[in-house]
Amino acid sequence: MTVPSSHLLILAAILFSIGVAGFFLRRNVIVVLMCIELMLNAANLSFLAASRMHSLDTPGGRIDLQGPIFAIFVIVVAAVEAAVGLALVIALYRRKQTVSLDDVVDLKD
Amino acid sequence: MSAWLHLFTLELAVVAIALLVLLWDAFAPAAGRAVGWTTALLLGGVFAASFFVDGRGTVPHGVFVRDEWVVFHERLFLAAGILGVLGSIDWLATRTPKRQAEYYALLLFSLAGMMLLAGARDWILLVTCFELMSMPLYVLCAYGKQDGPASEPKLAAEAGLKLFITGAASSGLTLFGLALVVGMTGTTHVGGIGANPAPLTIVGMLFVLAGFGFKVGAVPFHMWVPDTYQGAPTPFVAFLSVAPKAAGLATLAIVLLGGWSADSSVWLPVLLVLAGASMVVGNLFALPQTDARRLLGFSGVAQIGYALLALGAMSRGGLAMTLFFVATYVFTNLGVFFVLHAAAEEGGGHSLARIAGLSRRSPWLGGALLVFLLSLAGIPFVAGFWAKLFVFMEAWNAGLVGLVVLGVALAVIGLYYYLTVARSTYMADGDRTTPVPTGFALRAAILVCLIFVVGLGLWPRPLVEAADRAAAGIVSGR
Repeated sequence: MTVPSSHLLILAAILFSIGVAGFFLRRNVIVVLMCIELMLNAANLSFLAASRMHSLDTPGGRIDLQGPIFAIFVIVVAAVEAAVGLALVIALYRRKQTVSLDDVVDLKD
Repeated sequence: MSAWLHLFTLELAVVAIALLVLLWDAFAPAAGRAVGWTTALLLGGVFAASFFVDGRGTVPHGVFVRDEWVVFHERLFLAAGILGVLGSIDWLATRTPKRQAEYYALLLFSLAGMMLLAGARDWILLVTCFELMSMPLYVLCAYGKQDGPASEPKLAAEAGLKLFITGAASSGLTLFGLALVVGMTGTTHVGGIGANPAPLTIVGMLFVLAGFGFKVGAVPFHMWVPDTYQGAPTPFVAFLSVAPKAAGLATLAIVLLGGWSADSSVWLPVLLVLAGASMVVGNLFALPQTDARRLLGFSGVAQIGYALLALGAMSRGGLAMTLFFVATYVFTNLGVFFVLHAAAEEGGGHSLARIAGLSRRSPWLGGALLVFLLSLAGIPFVAGFWAKLFVFMEAWNAGLVGLVVLGVALAVIGLYYYLTVARSTYMADGDRTTPVPTGFALRAAILVCLIFVVGLGLWPRPLVEAADRAAAGIVSGR
């Protein structure tokens, strides 16, 4: 018995929703970064699920590679984002001794 | 060698300059202005070369197309890059003399990403170039001054973090949307959506549209714009406020007009709502601002609204006028920020009270600021006047009468706050009387911006024609 690809797509949508909800609700910058990673990984999962769907539908056994290749690029983007994001968090912590978004309110009208 | 590598000559040259700057700093660190001037001159050479290198063609599978559209954008981004470097030289050499090379290298990498972006016709390349453009900007935004007033590094870190968090979240939005689009259509080509897409494809494209909306700073995705402009180093904000915006608009044009033109009834209302909301919110929120950079942040949101309005005309002429509008905006906004930077470098920050009496102390700086503000407001006969006029004409011809009337009414409000700033530089008395000290590079950058703004105001035809040829690369016909 195999898992239908549509279930994977639904799982990806749920993961993405958790990421978006966490992005808006959590106040710790590190957790917000984790939520962004969750959104990117939801994208990866749907890329792979869609690719699996296309490959299973094709009777000749031709494997759809666009999804996996795109997912590799998304992983690269996620890695760069983690590096830059954590560097910015460290810069912020050194200057303000906080990683809470509630304390990052110096720029305002 | 492959037969298409010559298409990337200019981009490779920019990357080579970036690597050269990094290696120079690693092996023979120079503390003066040498690195900055070398970068600016080499970039100038690349800009000159863009008129001689005839690399038009298509990469196999149509992943990258180099045509008039790309050439126009390459020159625009290179011009913004040269001016961005020129405007930063004095600031970097005095504030962070030991950390100059990274700044230029990051700016150049971002520039390479923008230049590639204009020609990308494949989702993977498009997204990768977009990230190549965005990532260095996050770092540059937090490029703190080490010996400025104590609050400045803190503000820069906060500005960088805010830009990063919104930028990264919008990347997530774009990528998840693309997962749906690519998954449904089965192709990574931008033009692969076709007519009558599946509902899930439309949902995915709306995610993509929202993601790019964040990057151009259109309402309701504009929250980061004023904060980032206020906190980040001013010479960098000058670059950030123009080049990535132009790149984001180019991306929207490629995706909407180039790739998804068959189903405009789906996205056109969304685009027009973004345009209208940006004009309204940008202009109204700019009114009460007391910080010059926050005011320009909201003014930038409003200007993006005008550009989106011309994009919404969905014609070759409309797209051409979007390009013309963006090109004039590049020179005008760079100029405004450079003058503000010159006035603020003296100490005292960027509040509007700081530039009171500027024209009495430094008539040239004050005069330049006046010209730039008139151009932003759209007064004849500087570049911004033609830009606004052409945008409204194209939108009117496309039947967007209501939005044009709204835009003209809001432009009058814009006139009020731009001229309030100009009035205080001429009429009000400042607390100092000595001329504002400016470095040679900064003066040169302001002068170049001034020449372009005045020159395009008197003689806009060459740029209009170039923009029209460029637009033909995306929208064929009339």
